[in-house]
Parts: sequence; C-alpha cells; structure tokens
Amino acid sequence: MIEVKNISKKYGRKKVLNGVSFTANKGEITSLIGINGVGKTTILNAIMALTPVNSGEILINNEKINKASYEKITFIPDAITMLPQMTIAEAMQFMQDFYESWNQERATELLGFFKLKGSDKISSLSKGNTAKVNLLLGLALDVDFLLMDEPFSGIDIFSREQIAEVFTSHLIEDRGVIITTHEINDIEHLIDKVILLDEGTVIKEFNTEEVRENEGKSVIDVMREVYRT
Amino acid sequence: MTRFLKLVNFELGRFMKIYLALIGITIISQIAGVIIKSNSYISRANEAIYEDLVPKEEFFATEGLMSVLQVTRSLWFMGPIALCIAALIFYIFFIWYRDWFGKNTFIYRLLMLPTARIQIFLSKGVSILLMVFGFVAIQLMLLPIESVILKWIVPLDYRIDMTAGEIIQNSYLQTLIPSTFIEFVLYYGAGIMAVFIIFTAILFERSFRLKGVLLGAIFVGMTVLVFFSPILIMEIMQTYYLYPIEIFILEIILGLMLISVSIWTSHFLLKKKIAV
Amino acid sequence: MNVNFNNRDPVYVQVVRHFKEQIATGMLEPGQEIPSRRELANKLKINPNTAQRAYKEMEEAGLIHTERNLPSKITRNEKTLGAVREELIAGAVDSFVAAIRPINVSLDEIVGLIQDKYEMESKEEGGYE
Repeated sequence: MIEVKNISKKYGRKKVLNGVSFTANKGEITSLIGINGVGKTTILNAIMALTPVNSGEILINNEKINKASYEKITFIPDAITMLPQMTIAEAMQFMQDFYESWNQERATELLGFFKLKGSDKISSLSKGNTAKVNLLLGLALDVDFLLMDEPFSGIDIFSREQIAEVFTSHLIEDRGVIITTHEINDIEHLIDKVILLDEGTVIKEFNTEEVRENEGKSVIDVMREVYRT
Repeated sequence: MTRFLKLVNFELGRFMKIYLALIGITIISQIAGVIIKSNSYISRANEAIYEDLVPKEEFFATEGLMSVLQVTRSLWFMGPIALCIAALIFYIFFIWYRDWFGKNTFIYRLLMLPTARIQIFLSKGVSILLMVFGFVAIQLMLLPIESVILKWIVPLDYRIDMTAGEIIQNSYLQTLIPSTFIEFVLYYGAGIMAVFIIFTAILFERSFRLKGVLLGAIFVGMTVLVFFSPILIMEIMQTYYLYPIEIFILEIILGLMLISVSIWTSHFLLKKKIAV
Repeated sequence: MNVNFNNRDPVYVQVVRHFKEQIATGMLEPGQEIPSRRELANKLKINPNTAQRAYKEMEEAGLIHTERNLPSKITRNEKTLGAVREELIAGAVDSFVAAIRPINVSLDEIVGLIQDKYEMESKEEGGYE
C-alpha cells in the first residue's frame, strides 16, 4: 500500500500541494485526476523521492522510501528516462544491469506486444513508440507498484489503445497502479479508484464502481459536479 | 560495488566520443608540432650555416640545440593540452547538467536506481579523475614517440636527446606530472577536492535552484577559507609559528576533512533535497 | 466479444447482463467454458477487478460455477437458465411498458403493432425464422 499523508509543497511562495492525503492499494488502479497544473506530477515525484516536500509523509508498504524501494516501486514519467543515443536494446541492457527486479522475458514479450525493434535508436522513434519504450522499461520490472504520468497524452489513438490494453492484461497482474491523467475517456472502465485534485488538495476520492452503483453517475458526472461548483 | 563500476563505465561511455576526439587532436597536433618545428629548425640552420655562412657554434649559441623541449613551448604542443583541460573543466559541470536537460530526463533514471545516491556523485567524480589520468597517460606515452620522430628529422649534432622525465621537469608539464609521489598525491588530492566541492555546489543549485546558486557560492567560499585558513591566519597575525612540514600536514588533514564534508553534504542533498 | 458499456451503470452489472443475454440467446450453452477473468478483462477492455466482481456475482447467482483451478463453466441447471430468460424478457417488457404507457395506446393496438413489426423484421432478415 502507498500511503500519502498530508503532504504539502511550495515552489517559492506558490503552494502546489496543500495537505494531500490518499492511499493506493496493491491490485488496484488508482487515478489522480485534475485539470492541468494541479500538482499531479509533483505528487508522483514526491512518492519517488524525486522532489522534496515541505511537510507530510509518504509510506510504501509501511516504509519510507529507500534505495531498496526502487526494486518494489517504479515510475514512468511522461518523458523517456533513457539517453536518446541509446538503442532500445541498450536501454533494456541498462535496466538489466542495474535492477534485480528486471524481467527480461517480460521485456522481450513487451517488445513484441508493442511491435518495437531492439536495434532502433530511441532518438529515431515516433512519439507513440517513445511512450511505448518508456512504458516497457517500467512494466518489465517485477515491482509491486507502478506510477505512470499521463501515459496517454500527446500520442496517437492506436498507441493509446495499445497502452490501454496493457492495463487489462497480465502485464499489470496484481500490481498497484497510480496513473495521472486529465483525459478520463481512455481509461474510465479501467480504473478502480479516482482521486480528484484541485488547487493542491484532494477534493474527492471515490471508487468508480461504487459511484456508478450507488449514485448512478459516471466518473465525468462526478467531475462535473465537483469542478463546476 | 559492481553496480558502482557499471555506473563509472556508463559515465565514461557517455563522454567517450568527445574524449577520444580530444586525444586524437592532441596526438595529431603534437606530432605535427614536432615535425613542423624540427623542419623549420633544420631549414633555419641550413640557411644560416650554408647560405649566410654563420659558424655552427654561433648558430647554436643564439638558437640553442633542437629538442622536444622547444616543441613543448609551442602552441602545437600546449594548445591541445589547454583544450583538453578546458573540456574537462566544462565537463565537470556538464556531467551533471546534461542529466537534467533536454526532453530525455536521465536524472529520473539515475535517482531511481536501487543504489545509494551518493554512488551517482562518486561515479561522476571517479569518471572525471579517470579521464584526467587518461590524458596524462597519453601525454606520457606521446613524449618518447615525439623524441623518436625528432631524431628522424634532426641530425645528431643539431639536437639534444632528452628522456621523457627530463622534458617534463623542464616544461610546464611538471604541474601535470609531478616528479615525486608526494607531490603527485598533493596535486591530484587537491584536484579531487576541488572537483568534489564544485559538484556539491552544483547539487546545491540543483536542489534549491536560484537560492542554491547563493548557497553553493557560500559553500565554495567557506571551503576555500577553511583550506587556506592556516596560511591566512599566520599572514594576518604575522606570526609564523608553524614549520612548513606542519602546515603541510595540516593542509592534508584539512583537505581530507573538506572532501568528507563535501561527500556528506552531497549525500544529504541527493537524499533529501534534490529535485528533478 | 464486443460490448459497448455505458458510463453510468456499474461495469460489473453490465458484464453480468451481457452474459445473461448470451445465455438467453443460446450464444453461451449450458456447461460451456467461459474465459478466465483475465481474458475477459482483456477482451472487454475492463479492469480485471471488475471482471472478477462480475464472475463473483454470477457465481453467487448460480449462473456459472468453478471447480478448483479449472475454467469456469455455464451452469447446466435448467431452472436457473430458465430464470435468466424469464428475467430478460420481464426486464424488456417492463421497460417497453414504461415507455409506451404515457402514450396511452390500447393493448390490442400494441399487440397488432408488435405483430406487424415482428413479421417485417423476419422478412428483412430473409426468413430467418
């Protein structure tokens, strides 16, 4: 379980996060949703200790993040985390060199699934394929938690469909996923839990099936209610 | 440990193309320098001795005998060395900033490696050090080769043959390649200290951005002050109560202390304050 | 298998309804193996937890049954299967009646209209029945 407890973060005088708390469970897909610029990416960076927070605490399986945590949790940012001059195969080799949790078999499977070629240079790839390589490098780690920052933004519809397919496949298995997005359409039926953010705070947290069952509302209905008032 | 070596190897690999190009430039320029300088010496000698009928002894008295030493004073020789030094000084900064710049933010990957983050710091430091040693080693190998080339061009009685050691001791090269082991340790120890302190200042900047520039500058200022404090204090007090050997030992202790402070501070910044 | 889900009903309920329709129309036969939860999630592009929930509901309703690690199968229980058909018909009639009642049409008229419509569609489908 990932527990985010009352974290706040300021950039200069601007408060980006203001007492954000939520939990994300293993085996569930949790979606952080908000209009752009509400600190979604900052939250993911904070969970991974890629940016400091001014107050609050984050626990991953009841532990503060440490070097061993990176074998248990990984983050797929919206830009690729490998050098552009590397080939896909070299990037995979890099991962294998440094991570015990790297699963070469799954990596090869993903390569086929995404129809990518190992010998291609990262800098020569299309936007969609770059996003897929980025995803591959994260998904091929046998980790408990995967964080993804806007995996669907700025890429073509077929790549989006392919990436959405990943969520329903054995590639996710029983892992916990936190995904940020400002476009709900692609994943409305995929997510378990929604955390709506506005102005640096969580304004609503709900289970998608529960809100459909008990209130007869779609995720967008709830968003409309929350953001329009 | 193996992960650390892999990191060092990776860091070296990222600069290897430019590094090899610099080595290539050095080799070509220095050897060209030997050939050009030797030929021009010979033609000057021929002109003086056989056309202007200046006695040999007089020519040697004014021009001196030809040796590699003459070449080392030329731009052909010192130019590429200066270029390599400039490139490495530039790379001390760029080795960090390149990870943040561009669309491909490699710093995410580095910070998410399942290794202590200080290893990133140390691997970059070791890479810089290895590259310096690499340049020095290339220079050491080049000197005898350059002597041989000079021997081919310049006749025996027009030249002085020098060993690599003699060339180094009589040129600027002695700053890069000290003759005693103690000097070597001192020079390179001070170099390592300087690189680490600059790294720490860069990490201040990367952690606190604009405010960090100030913090980094303060950090550098403090370390300089501490390092030279024994000498400064004595100058101000006008009392020279320490023997040179005592100052020497004190400086070594201060140097080691500052290296530790730099590593510890960087460890803290990388763990708690760094921002992608 | 392609289902258009709406966004306002629980996805698991829609999955169960989809299975019931398939059972009622004979697309799924008694005792037939059904896809695993994972396969279903993948085919329908839904969350695996939701597929799991749908299967749990169907199991509790006796529509499917699972023996240890074997694939789940459609029940052979005639009574349950009959109930599914009746439930679907009842549901369709309910919504039809709810839609037609405000228009104030007599029962005879409705029956006539339904008859015409049925015959017309049968012809269009090239005498399918």
